[in-house]
Amino acid sequence: MPLLPQYSLAGKTAILYSAGGDEAPFLAQALAEAGASVFAICRRQETLDAVSESLSNEPGRHSGVAAVIDSKGAVDAAMAEFRGRHERVDILVNDGRSMFARAAKEIWLDDWDEVQSRNVRSTFLISQAVGSEMIGQGYGRIVNIISGLAERGMINGSAFSVSQAGLLALTRSLAVEWGQHNIRVNAIGVGWTTAEDIPVEEQRQEQLVRYIPVRQKGQPRDIGPLLVYLCSEACDYTTGQPVYVDGGLNAHP
Amino acid sequence: MLDRLSLDGRVAVVTGGGTGLGLEMVRHLARAGANLAVAGRRSGPIESAADEVKAMGQDAIAVSTDVSDSAQANALIDAAIQHFGRVDVLINNAALVSDSIPTPIWDISDQDWQAALDVNLSGAFYCARAASKPMADQGQGKIINVSSGFGLRGGRDIYMYCCTKGGIIQLTRVLSFSLARYGVTANSIVPGFIPTVGTDSEIRDALPRSGAYLPTGKLGVPEDIGPVAVFLASSASDYMTGETFTLDGGGLAGGLAPTGYAPEIPLEP
Repeated sequence: MPLLPQYSLAGKTAILYSAGGDEAPFLAQALAEAGASVFAICRRQETLDAVSESLSNEPGRHSGVAAVIDSKGAVDAAMAEFRGRHERVDILVNDGRSMFARAAKEIWLDDWDEVQSRNVRSTFLISQAVGSEMIGQGYGRIVNIISGLAERGMINGSAFSVSQAGLLALTRSLAVEWGQHNIRVNAIGVGWTTAEDIPVEEQRQEQLVRYIPVRQKGQPRDIGPLLVYLCSEACDYTTGQPVYVDGGLNAHP
Repeated sequence: MLDRLSLDGRVAVVTGGGTGLGLEMVRHLARAGANLAVAGRRSGPIESAADEVKAMGQDAIAVSTDVSDSAQANALIDAAIQHFGRVDVLINNAALVSDSIPTPIWDISDQDWQAALDVNLSGAFYCARAASKPMADQGQGKIINVSSGFGLRGGRDIYMYCCTKGGIIQLTRVLSFSLARYGVTANSIVPGFIPTVGTDSEIRDALPRSGAYLPTGKLGVPEDIGPVAVFLASSASDYMTGETFTLDGGGLAGGLAPTGYAPEIPLEP
């Protein structure tokens, strides 16, 4: 199968941060398939185990740590683990989508703060640490995986939507601020996804699935090739942009 | 999952494919395994592009086409189907670049306005109309419309280019919504400033000389568009439709503020 050489990540090292959800293993697999070494930072041990399992055919090349990244000390400790195994970091992928949905008048402030901390504060802390190294070496690619709720409202979605809009604004700001250092910062915006293989006809029994123009939920593998391109050296002129892979949700009413 | 980025055996039609960004997309699509119908008004550049594709071992035809004439747009899609048996990808790239020369509104004639609409917007509509039925019948297809940063922002005295390129983004959204049920996707590529060899001196004078004002600190090169076009033409983008893919050096993310300048403002008490 002819493939453009521009889609290769051979020789690159990627840090993958997962705030939550079950898609990190697929993102890690896409990066590894393109040739990158992957170091995962997962908020939950369960997610890290799933990532390690998905990369188990090359156990020596990939590693990771389970850590709650809510302070400078926490990110420094995770980066110390990383430096124990790798020389430099070329790629940072942040999946800041720990989901939460509750009626706005019933959201406790602790829950609100926790959602913002898991998704935004942690992504900022890691981006700041990794970005500093990228500035020093004059090269880097950062991709934030965000929800399309960065652009739209949803009933019960206020806390989560705010966190996603924050990540989109962070994407644009870091792109503008770090562009001069040959660092590109983009986002992939996803719609309604599932990591499970559910037959399409079964999915369509749900009204919300029929509302998606392509009439099926997205799969994490749907964003794998795009993630690889946005992490590649060839992605040199695109920065500060969200690319939505959402079955057409963002383009219709 | 990366083998989905291959275009092995796919058939792609590229309008305005003989020069500039169109030619670069033709080259990358061929490298990824596609066979090409290269369309353009002048036969020289499209024949040379088709020869280049054939030299890479792929099949190609050159079809002289003025997309502002719907009969010629129909004939282009017919020619591709007759030669290759199918059309998998349509890239609407043809545009009158001359109308990106800034002109005060009172100096724009009815003919100037109409000519730009005919090529840039009607041309894309005619080609999409001709290709979408066979794509729907085969249950898959990719329509890629080349817009511009001027499709999302205004430009001083740049009327037709901004209006038609904005229209292209809306055309993309309507196509995506309407054709999703047939397995056909539609997306826009939004290039920022990417100087091409074809850009004549008058247009070149109207464009920025350097990318110093952009976050990337440089203008784009035509090669930048290749991997994006291949991605959108491939099954790797099957779940993406109605969307824009921007290559603009970060211009839209930050606006045209000179980079490197930023005040620091301390936290208020």
